Amino acid sequence: MTTTEVAHDASTRRYWMIGGILAVITIVEVIVSLPGIIYSPAQPDPTAQLILVLLLLALSVAKGSMVVMFFMHLRGDARVFQLLFIAPFLLAVSMILVFLTLFSGHVGIAG
Amino acid sequence: MSEHAPATHATHASGHDPAHATSLGVDSRKMGVWAFIGSETLFFAALIATYLIYKPVNARLYPEQLPHEKLGIQFTGVLAAILLASSVTMVLALAASRRGDWRTFRRYHLATVGLGLCFLSGQAYEFTNLVLNEGLTLGSSLLGMTFFLLTGFHGTHVAIGVTWLLSVFFKVRRYPNGSENVLDIELGGLYWHFVDLVWVAVFTLIYLLP
Repeated sequence: MTTTEVAHDASTRRYWMIGGILAVITIVEVIVSLPGIIYSPAQPDPTAQLILVLLLLALSVAKGSMVVMFFMHLRGDARVFQLLFIAPFLLAVSMILVFLTLFSGHVGIAG
Repeated sequence: MSEHAPATHATHASGHDPAHATSLGVDSRKMGVWAFIGSETLFFAALIATYLIYKPVNARLYPEQLPHEKLGIQFTGVLAAILLASSVTMVLALAASRRGDWRTFRRYHLATVGLGLCFLSGQAYEFTNLVLNEGLTLGSSLLGMTFFLLTGFHGTHVAIGVTWLLSVFFKVRRYPNGSENVLDIELGGLYWHFVDLVWVAVFTLIYLLP
């Protein structure tokens, strides 16, 4: 096998492996979200709810990071592309957190 | 079309093409797509923030109409898996185009389009079920408005992505020796992966979070 063919096989295998990891993470997300696994709406538990929220957010961040780094090739790409994505992303996350904090105590905001 | 003609990389990604070079040494078209993705990130963040802010109110007023209650997370989980699979096929299509394996490129590229259409079909089924069986529409309630705006805009982006990918496919087929085919595929792929990324966020925040 030539060097080029070896490199091609390696990158193809890597993409399939990352796809498999993403699939597993998705399955885990669905399973842990099922009522009674970690959190049950019938018996609300703030601690369990917090654990579930943090776990789901962590898994989503992991999935998103893998898509961005390996599928969008941001990891090995020019710094300016990383800046063009990461800066708006951080701004977006900050915006969501700020608005949730601002309006968290105003459940009746919609009347 | 030569099945294994080496791709011409001279003009892609490095800014060597003087017509599209920037002072930063990157291709202006690729920079433009990344800037567009950055702006779309903020766009979807606004829609997600709106949904999340009103979520407690919607859960109190319309608990029986919440989408994940009606359709179950299993169905949307399958949709998420479909979109993730399409990201895998897209990156494999790009890899094939970079090494000049155009037969493999066609296979994976069309698979990406097919999976995108499957996702859209699933969304159409979900929307139809919600509208006809639950009476949940864009104007029926605050829940309907926030939900359909977010998922509807995402679905629109997926549809645009399918159109983009198909146009790239036919362009590559029409001009097999085009020097910028790889770049065109890469740019379409970037948009497609972003659309998948948005669904990762929407799926978690809208369907999974308690």
